[in-house]
Amino acid sequence: MEEPQPVASSTPVRSPGAAPGDRGSVGLAIPELAAIYEENCRPIYYLALRMLGDPTQAEDATHDVFLKAYRKLGEFKGQSTIRTWLYRITINHCQNLLQTWHRRHIQTTDDEELWERTAGASESPLRILETRELGQRIQKTLQAIPEEYRLLLLLVADEKLSYDEIGTLTSQTSDAVRGKLHRARKAFAAHFRKTA
Amino acid sequence: MNPLNPHSKLQRLSQEQTLSEQQVQAQQQQQILEFATAEEMIRYDAAQTPVPASVTERLQSSVGPVPPRSWWRRWLGQAG
Repeated sequence: MEEPQPVASSTPVRSPGAAPGDRGSVGLAIPELAAIYEENCRPIYYLALRMLGDPTQAEDATHDVFLKAYRKLGEFKGQSTIRTWLYRITINHCQNLLQTWHRRHIQTTDDEELWERTAGASESPLRILETRELGQRIQKTLQAIPEEYRLLLLLVADEKLSYDEIGTLTSQTSDAVRGKLHRARKAFAAHFRKTA
Repeated sequence: MNPLNPHSKLQRLSQEQTLSEQQVQAQQQQQILEFATAEEMIRYDAAQTPVPASVTERLQSSVGPVPPRSWWRRWLGQAG
């Protein structure tokens, strides 16, 4: 296992006035980690949850991602935002797990044609009556659409990410992100209605 | 039930309150939520999904104890 990297004192993630030993509101004694965790734990956990589809595995993944980030914090050059960097670690981590478990969903061309033919699927609003079932229905829907669309929708849902950043995370241009997002919305809407 | 009995009155008030709370809860549960796009719905779901508290505890035990501040930092009153 890798040893923790020394963290440069100039790393702009320490809470103002925080000293080693202080416990932030999240209960972590390392100020650098506490600040990063507090700001990003929710989106990272949610991404892992929806990518893996299992709360226990998402919990493990969130732990592993932040631990990895803490150990590699010294290598963080600040070329992207901390959140984008954490998303990159999370995506790689979850994709590795999914590959290991042979749980990749294989998309068929027929499905894509079906969504394209679904008239106005993305234009009409998505309605739900029972909020308690929302998470389950979203999970079912995300698992039914291609992995590329799933990831795109999960990233676009985070308003802090720009299309450029999403493009970098998914290895494509921001124009390609916009184009695929339209198809992803259609696919999601078509499948979501089936889960009712 | 004797209506003049303060205990039974209190019980009735409590029952009414419980009923009213149940009605409000039922109305909230039946409320139709509408989202224009998939990402809007996902954003709503993400905001409703808490991170288990156990992640913090596990993370803290994984990173290990905090190294004590060196004597000269304490003496100078420096944070780091």
